[in-house]
This record gives sequence, C-alpha cells and structure tokens, in this order.
Amino acid sequence: MEELFGNFGQLLSSTIRNATPLIFAALGGMFSERSGVVNIGLEGLMLISAFAGVVGAFLSGSALVGLGTAMAAGLAFALIHAVMTITFEADQIISGTAINLLALGGTGFLMVEVFGSGGTSPNVQGFSAVRIPLLADIPLLGPALFNQSLLVYLMYALVPTTYFVLFKTPFGLRLRGTGESPEAVDTAGVNVFRMRYYGVALSGILAALGGAYLSMGILSAFTENMTNGRGFIALAALIFGRWHPVGAAGAALLFGFAQAFTFQAPQDVVPLEFLQMLPYVLTLIVLAGFGGRAIAPAAVGKPYRKE
Amino acid sequence: MSEERRDSGDSFLRKSLRDAGGALVFPLIAIFIAFVIGALLVLASGNNPVAAYVSLIQGAVGSPTAIGRTLLNATPLVFTGLAVAVAFRAGLFNIGGEGQVFIGAITAAWLAVSVGFLGIAAIPIVLLACVVTGFIWGAIPGFLKARFGAHEVITTIMLNFIAINLATYFALGPLRSEGIVPGTETIEAAARIPAIGLGLGRVNYGLAVAVLAAVVIYFLLWRTKLGFRIRAVGLSPGAANYAGMRIGTNTVLAIAIGGAMAGLGGGVEVLGVYGKMSIPFVSNLGFNGIGVALLGRNHPVGVVLGALLFGGLASGAQEMQFATDVPLDLSDVLLAVILLLVTATKLVELIIGKRARALASGTRLDEGLGN
Repeated sequence: MEELFGNFGQLLSSTIRNATPLIFAALGGMFSERSGVVNIGLEGLMLISAFAGVVGAFLSGSALVGLGTAMAAGLAFALIHAVMTITFEADQIISGTAINLLALGGTGFLMVEVFGSGGTSPNVQGFSAVRIPLLADIPLLGPALFNQSLLVYLMYALVPTTYFVLFKTPFGLRLRGTGESPEAVDTAGVNVFRMRYYGVALSGILAALGGAYLSMGILSAFTENMTNGRGFIALAALIFGRWHPVGAAGAALLFGFAQAFTFQAPQDVVPLEFLQMLPYVLTLIVLAGFGGRAIAPAAVGKPYRKE
Repeated sequence: MSEERRDSGDSFLRKSLRDAGGALVFPLIAIFIAFVIGALLVLASGNNPVAAYVSLIQGAVGSPTAIGRTLLNATPLVFTGLAVAVAFRAGLFNIGGEGQVFIGAITAAWLAVSVGFLGIAAIPIVLLACVVTGFIWGAIPGFLKARFGAHEVITTIMLNFIAINLATYFALGPLRSEGIVPGTETIEAAARIPAIGLGLGRVNYGLAVAVLAAVVIYFLLWRTKLGFRIRAVGLSPGAANYAGMRIGTNTVLAIAIGGAMAGLGGGVEVLGVYGKMSIPFVSNLGFNGIGVALLGRNHPVGVVLGALLFGGLASGAQEMQFATDVPLDLSDVLLAVILLLVTATKLVELIIGKRARALASGTRLDEGLGN
C-alpha cells in the first residue's frame, strides 16, 4: 500500500514538473492568439530563454538574474515576431517557423561563442525545491504539490491570474476583442496594433518562464534543443484547452502526466513512442470533434490593415 | 493591377522577364538583409565577415566536392519544398513535410530490405511505395480539414510528431537491426540509388528524381484539369465552388500530393544517402522545405532554386566553420532571417514603394486560422 502511494506521489510530482513549462508557454500562446496573432514560435521562445537564463545565471552567479535575462530574451524574440507580423505584415505562420529556426541556430551559434563549444553548458545556479511548511505536510498531495521550485508556485498563481486578466479586466476584454473582431474594437477607439503588441510581448515573457524552468528548474544547465518539441505540445494544450486558461492548464497537466507516465511505466506494456504521441493524437481528436472553426479566435492569423 | 494593364502593349517576352524580376524582389531583399545581419553577427563574434563569407561561398560552389555537397543537401529540400508549394497553390499551409519525410523514410527502410533481392528493379517499387504512404499520410490533414474544418497548420504540426514517433517505434522496434547503431537493417547495395560520380562525391540519381518531381508538379499544376482546380480553389474558393468544383476533394488531393512529394523525398534519402533509417534520423528537412517553397514563391522552378540556395548555405557553412572560427549554426541563423523577411510585405513596401503589394501576391495566405 505504501509503495503504491509512494509511486503515486512520485508520479504526481513528476506530472507537475513536466506540465509546468507547458502551462507557462500555453498561457503565453493564449495572450498572443487571443489578440489575433498565431504563435507557433513558442518552441523557439522557450529555447532562447532557456539559454539566456543559463547565460545570465552563469555570468552573475544568481538564479534571479538568470530569470531576468531569460525573460528579456523571450521578450526580445517575441518582439521580433510582433514587428514582423503586426508592423510589416509578414505571414504569422512563417514568422513563427522562422523564430523557431532562429532560436535553434542562434543558441547553437551562441553556445560556441559563450561557452566555447556546443552540446551542454556548465552547471549554473538554478531554482531548487522550496518546501512550503504545513501545505507540504498534507498526506499524498502535499509533498508532490508543495515541495517544488519557486517557478512552480508562480505557475499556480498565473493560471487564475491569466483567467482574471483575460475575462475580468478591460484589458482582457480589449485583447479578446482584438482577436475576434479587430474592425469593431478599432471603431470603438482601441489601438489594435498596440493590443497585438501587448499580446505577443506577454507570450514571450510567459514562454520565457517555461524555458527558464527547463534549464534552471528541472536542470541547471542548457543543452542544445532542450525544449525538444515542448513548445508544440504547449500549442496543442492551448488548442486542446480551447484557448481558455483553465482548459489549457488542464490539458498541459494531462500531457505532463503522459510524459511522467512514460518515465515510470514498464516499457513492455505500452511502447514509449505511443505514449509520446498521446498529446498530439488527443489534440487531433479534439480538433475533429469540435471542429477547428468554432473555437479559435475569429481573427487569429489575419494581419490587420487600417484602411 | 493597373500597372499590369499599362504594360499590356509590351511583348510577351518582356512581360515574362519583368514578372520573373518582380518575383525575385522579395527573395533578394530578404537574402541581402540576412547576409548583412549575418555579417554583423560574425563581426560581433570577433571574426572577419569577408573571410567567413568567402569560405562560405567556396564551401558551397568552390570545387566539385563542394558542388556535390550542395547538390546532396539540396535534393531532399526540392521534395519538401514541393510538398509545401502544391498545398500552397490550393490555399493551404502544409507544415507537415517533416512527418511526411519520416513516413516515406520508414516505408523505404522497411520495403527495400524485403525486396532488396530484386536489385536495381527494387528502386522504383520502393519509391512508388513511398509516394503512396506519403500521399495517404498527407490525405489525413486534408480530410480533417475538408470534413471537420480542423485547420491544417495545427493538424500537420500534430501529425509531424505522430509520424516521427511512429517511424521511431518501427525503426527501434519490429524493424530494428542487430547492429550497435540504433536503426533498421542496411539495404543491399544493389537496391540503393547509385551515385552519379563525376567527382561530385555522394550525389546520387535521387537528384534526377527531384528534378523530375519538380517537372511533374509543374505539369500537374499548370497543364492538367486537376492542377487548374487546385489553383482555382487556392485563388478563390468561392468562385471555384460556384463553378462546381469540389473544394473538399481538391483540399484533400492538394495536401496528399504534397505528402507524396515529401514521402518520396524521405525514400530518396534512405535509398540514396543512408541505406537505412537510423534513429535519430535527419531532422528539419520538412521545416526547411517551408523556407525553400516561400523563397521560390511556390513555383517548382523557384523551389529548385530555393533548395540550391539552402543546400549551398548548409554546405558552405561546414567549410566556413573549418576555415574560420565562425560556428556552422550561422547558416541556420541566415535561413531563419531570410524566412522571417521573405513575406514581410510592408517592409518591402518601405524599400520599393507601393508596388510591393502586387508583387507579394502568390506568397500570402491571409485567410486566418479561425475560419
């Protein structure tokens, strides 16, 4: 019995750790897409900030400084996407693909320039687990949920915050309006371009938290291409959760659980590859079931041209 | 539009030349800015940009070996570029080239071992099978779009990961060889695509298959009824529907034909270059195909040129890393910047004026993901 619960606790704890970067990136993608800008560059935003975080922590010796440089890099790359798509009307899908490639090539290039060789960076100061007294003593759930890195607690706070900002504030209303019907909010005096810049900028900062958690929360070093498709899983979670913060977090937890399960399940029961496919297969089923057209923000993907 | 009307008195040749020139405006501006940014990066890293670019060009076209390496790199990109271009002509974004390559590659790795005893006769059989499996895999997002309205950008991204995992499962599971390198069994030498020779290194007749594929796609799109329908659906779905064309059927066919091209590319890589599918398999061919197609403005001739440029950059980067201290990854950065700029209508407008918007047609899909 104890062994079962012990495994359960481990599984839950691992689920949270796997889901955390996905939730950050999915919430980021939500701000961007709700404002009408598709962001398939989440993968690249996470990767560049995972790297920038490690560089910041390496040079300063402080994890907090690393978090700052990670967020700055995520913001900078997101702004490239914003300038290209919102101001220069470049195609959003292409720009997102380019951001991914730029992050992959850029981190490869900078690894050599900063650390002298590719592969893996030296170890840096990361965010180690912080035990929250009392809460961590709750049987079963406590150790899994409340003995985690600070960034995980930040994630807990961000899900309701995102919900509140999107659905209960004037900013959220304008942002959603910009993604649904830019002409209408423009007529109402909202600056569509500015709202979209805010949306994309927030996606960079939030995806950066996900990237920083990978390189400074789960590990304490940067490895080339360490995001390994997580940005795309976050995108899947965003769609699976129907562009809603709670839905996306739920989907990310489900995908995180699938990842955690792959590490623990005996290989001969279900092949690893089939478990890894699960998030994508589920997302396809959801898309087929609900019909993609009914749930995405109406104006997402279209550049806005003021006549 | 008015520009075109004013020029209507010109000869056909002059108009064609001007069209081709116009088509090059976006790519050339993108390439130029990318190289300027690249030079600044090289400078910032404490190297000499002129030396870096000289070795880059030498590594791309400076010797028969370099040219061979460029052609070898370009071959799969022609296929994945075509995979994007065909779908694009129907108004669809095929981001699924990556997965379609894996499906073709695992098909070839499996079948070529089984029918390898046929020798050279095995090659067309295996490649045909890759076309078929790529076609079927490509039909899935087409069907999901036509039947359920699921956007192809999202479904093809999801299918990429499903395909990669599926191929990995087969290569490391049922089809795994005894050897220490994880992957499938090695295909008999006689059943592989032979090298061209001529001092061009490992370049093989897969290059000829790629050029042939580009010609076939050109004829399909501009000389057949099916191609006319695909392009009509892409240019104006409403009008195509009014004319009695089935939008759904043409949607499925367009992505499926694209999938067939990428699948063929995967097969050519396995039969021509690797002789088996090892894990990890070569990555980013599908994603780079997107850049190749856009740089080539989704025209088969442009795709071939785009593939040569991408192939040359990758090949030259190796030489550059060897000759100078500039990391190989610079070529990825250059490609990313080109990709970032190549659809930026407003930016080009700033440089060459209002004509930019007319020149941009044929490279944009602005219908959005919501409907």
